[in-house]
Amino acid sequence: MPRYELALILKAMQRPETAAALRRTVETLMERGAVVRDLENLGQRLLPYKMTKHNQRHSTGAYFLVDFYAAPSILDGLLDHLHRDVDVVRPAVLRKDERAPDSSCCGPPP
Amino acid sequence: MLCVRGLQRLKAALYLHRSSTHRSLTSAAALQKDDAPMKAETPSKEPRRGCVLCSVTVDFKNVQLLSQFISPHTGRIYGRHITGLCGRKQKEISKAIKKAHSLGFMPVTHKHPQFMTDPRICGIKHLD
Repeated sequence: MPRYELALILKAMQRPETAAALRRTVETLMERGAVVRDLENLGQRLLPYKMTKHNQRHSTGAYFLVDFYAAPSILDGLLDHLHRDVDVVRPAVLRKDERAPDSSCCGPPP
Repeated sequence: MLCVRGLQRLKAALYLHRSSTHRSLTSAAALQKDDAPMKAETPSKEPRRGCVLCSVTVDFKNVQLLSQFISPHTGRIYGRHITGLCGRKQKEISKAIKKAHSLGFMPVTHKHPQFMTDPRICGIKHLD
């Protein structure tokens, strides 16, 4: 199964509510047959620009990164579900490339 | 016909004569002497220089790195003639910056004030 990364921006909430939102997200992922590999917290920061979502204007958000393995067929449904979640400000699923970085980069052509 | 044959015989005779007497110039032993030219690399060859990001992986989450290649006043991405990056890395940086913009990681119209004091990589002078 290919490896994906979910860059999630949650609404600025209290700790138990953030935990509940994350739990909900990960359970949704597992229900759809994804294997969650890693969950990183990138901290709560001021958003780069004000975002409007679910009739609310957000200026701060909590950034999270979820690494998971999943079948490509679930992504559409997953994104739809995340967009409908009130606590999520901006969800984004990205493919993670497992290619090793090329060593033959740069330098003038021979 | 006869003269052609005669010429051929003469040529054969001359070549045989040459190989038996002129030994020192064409024999194999002479070529392996110490004064034969050695094979060496050109001393004036310059080492291969890469761009600044040659061994650095570009990621959209690394906002500090990406912010070094944008204008502090307008947030516009600098061109290749200013950043000095090679084709591949310039494209990667450009794509990463646009991704970071759309995913809500990096500001669009300006540079984050936290990164204003970072070292300047790009060769551009600001009239501050």
